[in-house]
Amino acid sequence: MISRDWYITKSNKKINLYRFWFFETAPRLAFAPPQPGRGRPSSLQKAIMIEVTDLTKHYLHAGSRVAALSAVNLRIGQGEIYGIIGRSGAGKSTLIRCLNLLERPDSGEVRIGADALTAYSERQLQQRRQRIGMVFQHFNLLRSRTVAANVRFPLELAGGLSAAQMDARVDELLALVGLQDHQYKRPAQLSGGQKQRVGIARALANHPDVLLCDEATSALDPETTDAILALLADINRQLGLTIVLITHDMRVIRQLCDSVAVLDHGRVVEAGKVLDVFLQPQHAATQSLLAETGLGQAALQGQWRERIGTPLLKLTFVGEPALQPVLDKVGREAGLRINLLSGTLAEIKHTPFGLLLAAVVASDVEVQALPAIFAREGVRCEVL
Amino acid sequence: MGDFDWNLLWQVDWAEIFDATLDTLTMLGVSLLFTVLLGLPLGVLLYLSAPGQLRARPRLYAVLSLLVNVLRSLPFVILLIVLIPLTLLLVGTSIGVAGAIVPLVVGAVPFFGRLVENVLREVDRGVIEASQAMGARLPQIIVKVLLPEALPGLVGAVTVTGVALVGYTAMSGVIGGGGLGDLAVRYGYQRFQTEVMIVTVALLLVLVQLLQSAGDRLVRRCRLD
Repeated sequence: MISRDWYITKSNKKINLYRFWFFETAPRLAFAPPQPGRGRPSSLQKAIMIEVTDLTKHYLHAGSRVAALSAVNLRIGQGEIYGIIGRSGAGKSTLIRCLNLLERPDSGEVRIGADALTAYSERQLQQRRQRIGMVFQHFNLLRSRTVAANVRFPLELAGGLSAAQMDARVDELLALVGLQDHQYKRPAQLSGGQKQRVGIARALANHPDVLLCDEATSALDPETTDAILALLADINRQLGLTIVLITHDMRVIRQLCDSVAVLDHGRVVEAGKVLDVFLQPQHAATQSLLAETGLGQAALQGQWRERIGTPLLKLTFVGEPALQPVLDKVGREAGLRINLLSGTLAEIKHTPFGLLLAAVVASDVEVQALPAIFAREGVRCEVL
Repeated sequence: MGDFDWNLLWQVDWAEIFDATLDTLTMLGVSLLFTVLLGLPLGVLLYLSAPGQLRARPRLYAVLSLLVNVLRSLPFVILLIVLIPLTLLLVGTSIGVAGAIVPLVVGAVPFFGRLVENVLREVDRGVIEASQAMGARLPQIIVKVLLPEALPGLVGAVTVTGVALVGYTAMSGVIGGGGLGDLAVRYGYQRFQTEVMIVTVALLLVLVQLLQSAGDRLVRRCRLD
């Protein structure tokens, strides 16, 4: 969904200046054309940007050690949008805070680019953090500063720029997030979505190579969430920035992310491309998260099979087949009587996909042959 | 006071009242200045060293905290006497307006420091975390985040401390400190000159009112939203 103020951002001429300016640091990705359909596979195969190895973290709770993270491993490619999803208490917040070492893990290694952060001194870490942007659920803006001064804040921290250079950079950033007209306002005068735009502009100030988003849209209404997600997607496309976000909301993963890791009780129980994880969830935690989005056909299966009394098919359409009358075609050719039980058509990152649950009246032999027939049409068929 | 002769007010020695007012203002101004200069760092140190805070040093915090509590629980009159050697050392005299300033500061710094600590604790942890995530060093966090974000509360703390100091100055008469409070005690109480008492108390009241409303106005002006 594209909101109105999103257009303001896109049509603003300053964006092109910004792109041009960025040419020096990220030439390939800055001009990578948006590819509707299949995401950006070429950039995804690039170098590993973030590598987390055997990360473990415990808390002391009521005198006993509680594991917040147990042997977490992650590999996040450069330019990728990587989602980490889990229920509250799963360890998401701890994990993202371990990526820039706001929290020190008990053991394990965190690498960002070529830098092994876990081996850094506090001073080195502070230097490096200037180029790791972070966006927060509750925005965490300085109430004592105007919008422009908030965006300027990280530039002041880093030093090295003249006042005029800082002002110019602030103007660029405010244009990027579409807040040029609000620069003299205080955070208290802004809406939630505007506050988060300030937070994003601030996080981008020192040309980070990684952007960490800690439940960045959880405090926003659905429409504003869509606008912020669109902004993040655009920033990822324009700047080639690697984005890691944590969320409890499957919708955020579906709309924005290339890859996803599912966190449950401090462990990564499932990880992979969003499409794969969504359509073939392996772990119970993933299935239950998906069930809430209406994509969780798993929950339906047991309930209906006995009452219907015929074999059930779960059909998964990805890409073009989702838009074609495949079911009708196969049904006619194989002479099947099909009873459609439920269905979904949706998009994951511009890739359409469909999920159908259908009952078929057919012999066991015929049913056994169905997966192969559907496979020829590019549709995955599972007999339940 | 029912049969008080209001005409006595015209016989009050206004020159002396004027001198006493000046003395009070001097004591208040100078001691408030030093209280803020010393108490603000103390408050920041208390805040930072408290358990669970940015530079948690539980043992240092315990010692500082105890010291603050001891100084705050000593009656000011006792402090005036006990500090005479220190005052002599620092300002060369232990009497008069100059002699009163050292005990006033020593009495007010722990009070103000504790207020500062409490005000700083109200600063949103998320904002501090955000500045850490942006690579801020501790001095930057203090100067650019903690103090500006806490400014309205800090101004309020200065106001409260100023008002408390007005009360303390009244006791400085014990060491010949002078000021309106001293006048009230010597003439109004000890010599039964009720008219002096009334005038000095009225002036003190006006002073406290002015301080409080000036403080409130400043707080409103630097409020953040």
